[in-house]
Amino acid sequence: MTPGRTLSTRSRRALLALAVALAAACLAVGTAAQEDVRCLSCHGKPGFKKTLASGKVLELFVDPTSLRLSVHKDKHCVDCHADVSEVPHPNVPQKVNCRRCHYSGNTAGAPQIEKYVEFEQSVHGKALAEGNTKAPACQDCHGDHFILPGSDPRSEVSHKNLPQVCGRCHLEIFGQYEASVHGKALAKGIMDAPVCTNCHGEHTIRKAADASSSVNAGHVANTCAKCHAKVVIMEKYGVKAEQVATYNESFHGIANEFGVLTAANCASCHTAHDILPENDPRSSVNAANIPKTCGKCHAGANANFANGRIHINAKDKSAGIVYWIALGFKILTLSTLAGLFVHIGLDLYRKFRNRKAHHGEAKP
Amino acid sequence: MSAEQLKTAWTDQDTKALSDTLAGAVASALESEAPKDMTEEQAARLRNALSSALAKEAVLDARRAARRFFEEETKREKRAVREQVRVDKVADSVERLSLHIRVQHMILFSSCILLIVTGLPIKFHESAIAAFLIDIMGGPSVTRILHRIGAIALTFIGVYHIYYCMVFKEGRKTFDLLIPKLQDGKDALHQILYFVGIKKDRPLFGRFSYIEKFDYWAVYWGMVVMITSGYILWFKDWAINAFGKYVFDIGREAHSDEALLATLAIVIWHFYNVHFNPHKFPGSLTWLNGKISMEEFKEEHPLEYEEWLAAREKGGDS
Repeated sequence: MTPGRTLSTRSRRALLALAVALAAACLAVGTAAQEDVRCLSCHGKPGFKKTLASGKVLELFVDPTSLRLSVHKDKHCVDCHADVSEVPHPNVPQKVNCRRCHYSGNTAGAPQIEKYVEFEQSVHGKALAEGNTKAPACQDCHGDHFILPGSDPRSEVSHKNLPQVCGRCHLEIFGQYEASVHGKALAKGIMDAPVCTNCHGEHTIRKAADASSSVNAGHVANTCAKCHAKVVIMEKYGVKAEQVATYNESFHGIANEFGVLTAANCASCHTAHDILPENDPRSSVNAANIPKTCGKCHAGANANFANGRIHINAKDKSAGIVYWIALGFKILTLSTLAGLFVHIGLDLYRKFRNRKAHHGEAKP
Repeated sequence: MSAEQLKTAWTDQDTKALSDTLAGAVASALESEAPKDMTEEQAARLRNALSSALAKEAVLDARRAARRFFEEETKREKRAVREQVRVDKVADSVERLSLHIRVQHMILFSSCILLIVTGLPIKFHESAIAAFLIDIMGGPSVTRILHRIGAIALTFIGVYHIYYCMVFKEGRKTFDLLIPKLQDGKDALHQILYFVGIKKDRPLFGRFSYIEKFDYWAVYWGMVVMITSGYILWFKDWAINAFGKYVFDIGREAHSDEALLATLAIVIWHFYNVHFNPHKFPGSLTWLNGKISMEEFKEEHPLEYEEWLAAREKGGDS
């Protein structure tokens, strides 16, 4: 029996297909760069565009250097535009699917992290999956060909540029943020200032109503505390880091801690995006606006709600009368307890002595 | 009483002594009455007549005497039993706290326990036990209602106690005895000197020692602070609108601090004095039945004991 006779027709065909595929792969390595040249013969021409049936003009020009300077500098057009195989394209090429490489365990050299899974569970990913055409995909924030790491200041998602990226869709909130203490600080180049993602998360953005969201009523205080509890950051800008602790000690903070989410959190009083210093007349925590701000929950609040401090640290003299009352009670408590303990101790001492004396009499 | 027992009570010796005395007395009584000369035969007949007459009289008298004796004896026994019963009762215990006082105390400590259990977890919110307590009670929405139920009970008993002290005779008397006097300071000093061994005997306390007066006035002070500040916190919106946010802050600080002070004072001081003191351990039932043992009464409140004895002797024997 010869080996040739033992192979079925199907097996022979499979072997052939494998050989062809191997040959194609070998060719592809050699030809991918040549393919790029073919793509750029059209897409490399400045002004190359297409007017859609809707009248929208689609820019189709790609600056080849932008890709070469990006994190994808070693990639070729068809690595991402994998559905393009013919020129001219018989079908409209699909939007690039980043997940082809961006998953944990990939062999394409992409980071071994599951950002795409996180994204799918986020408010944006869910909207996209539901078919919302306005929902952003990866490219809408990270850009298409000129993708750079967030740490690069030229990156669209760099700390400084990020608010504008989000602002493309969230226009009104972007306006509020820009005018807020955080937005103004960022504009001044203060990189400690938080941008959208510092509070909302990056790929994990969820609706505030979602209990797992970083901006859910149950998590707001912890989210703000990421920066506001850090003395190193806060002392640079003359903000008290103890405001987090004083909130946690307040009835609002304690109620929140025990799961009463109707209790005020940081954003309830300071707002989420309009945050302004206390002395700014537009601030929600300016004395003139306190009745309105407190009145959101405490119906009928009047100007007396501003008659006293909000973040109180009873251990600090800045707390005024509350400090003296706390100190008074401290002295009263310690002296009372000391007196009681001494009295009890002496009583026990005497009882012990008496017992010993009796014991001694019993056995002469 | 059997004849046998009576026979034993009347011995041969008694009979001989009696007959000798009787013979002498009868002989001297007859000397003036009898004729000078009597025949042997006459003397024998007289002896017979005397014997029967004397025996007749003696039995009657003996009967009377015995009856009188036993009547007296029964009375004596009854009196002795009565006395013994009284002595026994006295030796056991005496009701020192009336039901009226006990019920007030029960409402007070029940509401305090409820308030402490639902309140302190808020003060010590970071501790694991606080979260556990709040959780087993059904969460903060339940504990705040429980706390307010406790608050209403405490307010009620506070107000009722003032009414009690003003309107009831017992209340007025009790309150008078609770007012601190100079003697309390002297007693405290005396007690300390006794503890350290300088004085040989303890001070003599009346109805309320300085320790009990301290307990009472500590609660009084605590009630005023806790109830006032508590209502500021409960009706916070009204209080802030009326007086300003800082009044709420004062209320909160005072409520929180006094809560700890009161709890510690109760746990350390009151529990030591009535539960953990080696003499009392594991605790007396005075709060329930109002009784104090005679021994303790004499020991702890000698002056009150004296008064009690005097009052008892004056009106107690009727």
